[in-house]
Amino acid sequence: MRKSLAMERTVTPMKKSFFIRLRQQYQIYLMLLPAMIVAAVFSYVPLSGWIMAFTDYQLGQNMFQSKWTGFTQFSSFFSGANDALYTVRNTIVINLLSLFIGLFVACAFAILLNEVRLRCFKKFVQTTSFFPYFVSWVIAYMIFNSFFAVKSGVVNQLLVGGGIIGSGINFLGDPKYSWGMILFVNIWKSLGYNSVIFLAALAGIDQEQYEAAEIDGASRFQRINHITIPELTPTLVVLLIMNSGWIFASNLEEFYLFCNDSNYSKMEVLDIYIYNYGLKYLNFSYATAVGIVKTIASIGMFWIVNATAKKLKGSGIV
Amino acid sequence: MYDSGGFTGMMCKKNSTVGDILFDIVVTFVMAVVVIISLYPFLYIIFYSFSNSALLGTGLLLYPKGFNVDAYKVLISDEKIPHALFISVARSIISPACSLMVNSLAAFALSHHHFMGRSFILRFLTITMYFSSGLIPYYILMMKLHLTNTFLVYVVPSLFSAFDLILIKTYMESLPAALEESAMIDGASYFKTFFRIILPLCKPVLAALLLFNCVGQWNSYSDTMIYNATRTDLHTLSYVLMNFIQTSTSTAEAARQQAGLMTVNTTSLKMAMTVITVIPIMCVYPFLQKYFAKGLLIGSVKG
Repeated sequence: MRKSLAMERTVTPMKKSFFIRLRQQYQIYLMLLPAMIVAAVFSYVPLSGWIMAFTDYQLGQNMFQSKWTGFTQFSSFFSGANDALYTVRNTIVINLLSLFIGLFVACAFAILLNEVRLRCFKKFVQTTSFFPYFVSWVIAYMIFNSFFAVKSGVVNQLLVGGGIIGSGINFLGDPKYSWGMILFVNIWKSLGYNSVIFLAALAGIDQEQYEAAEIDGASRFQRINHITIPELTPTLVVLLIMNSGWIFASNLEEFYLFCNDSNYSKMEVLDIYIYNYGLKYLNFSYATAVGIVKTIASIGMFWIVNATAKKLKGSGIV
Repeated sequence: MYDSGGFTGMMCKKNSTVGDILFDIVVTFVMAVVVIISLYPFLYIIFYSFSNSALLGTGLLLYPKGFNVDAYKVLISDEKIPHALFISVARSIISPACSLMVNSLAAFALSHHHFMGRSFILRFLTITMYFSSGLIPYYILMMKLHLTNTFLVYVVPSLFSAFDLILIKTYMESLPAALEESAMIDGASYFKTFFRIILPLCKPVLAALLLFNCVGQWNSYSDTMIYNATRTDLHTLSYVLMNFIQTSTSTAEAARQQAGLMTVNTTSLKMAMTVITVIPIMCVYPFLQKYFAKGLLIGSVKG
């Protein structure tokens, strides 16, 4: 009895007929049912809405009976007034900057944090640096607004008060500062989160290497340079590659607040563009078309990432 | 959260050269800057909300000037805010609990290797992480399902999450298979095995995901903005705060003018509102940090 059941788990019993197995395992399918229904309804069914992109859909119409327009929505995105150019550029630049610089900063931070000798100070730094990750974008915006606003912002008040600049800098509105600002926001919010994985990797480094290096007279800086950094590089590369798949996706909640009428030329990302055209101007067909472009670009990106990961590690991500 | 073995601790004191001391100073300085940048903004907002706005000048605040709680009094007198608090709490509890049930059931099923169509179902579920239909088709789906302007929009669409599923499945696969086998030999059904044996063992990963989903639900405002904007009785605290920040006049502002309070201005009301929204996060934060290491990282490193 014991033996036969144990075998059933490991080796697929081919003898039993399909229906007997189905009857034995109906509970397994029952368990999968809720997840499959939700996934089908909320991830697969809305794909049928893509048909809107090829028609002239108005709210309230039947999606399948509106006038067929072919690819005009797509061509107007790519030809009309450089919209495609600047939104795609903003999306890629902001996401790539945040990904690369964010991970490098987190890696450097983790290395330095690892060098802190006082246990309790180390713990305190980690606890505080992780906190901004858990607050909402509304609160993050509120904070940046109260520090960087032109007149009421603390940073501007200090700069003007100290005589460094004549009048306040519009950090949140001036397109000149947009990319730097959003990069700072992203690093501020995700530094603690990103560094966790590096700290885990640091904990896994063989300590004997450090002991050997110390006996050979290596200074702390040399030990970091010749042991820690080479040991962390694979983790960094894997994270960079894995996260590159998301470079077309932005956080709607973040950009809805940080993108405004004065800095949109540098801040309007694809997700905000889709939101504006779809739900503000109610141009559903056009917004859907742009959404399709974004999804297909993302899938292409994931395909590249997957192929790269397969080559490097021998296993893909999907 | 992590101790890297403390190799530095072992070898301090001994040969502290000038370079070592200099290095320590630089490290401490950088860490202090990180702490200030991460922590001070929250302190500033708290101090500001408790200050008498008539006394506030410009620049940094190191303590509340003219301590008072008038801003909070004004906010609580606006009945919209306690109600929004209730909606926020409700969605932050109901939605994660339901979604964990759905995901852990599916994860348990998929942790078995011997049923038909497993690889197809696994692909079908996990691939949803990598594509989206886009905002507009999703919005139209919500309208067609009559989920817009209902509380259910906070619960139903987020029931399934491929990310949670994979984490729970990885954790379940790390449990010894003998546990389940012995239960099955004793005649327990799959459901009984799941509820009595496996689910209690998955506490660390479930706690971590529960907390993460709670915080995610608490923080989210875009779904209220997109689907429930016209139903003011379904507005969450995050959305009320978002509206509050974006518009200069609000019901709370009107209440302040009516009361004729001079100790409060619009900014301090906004600050107090922010504090109310951030306090629950601060309360669960110690647990969040603890379980993040215990539950989530185990799953994600292996997966």
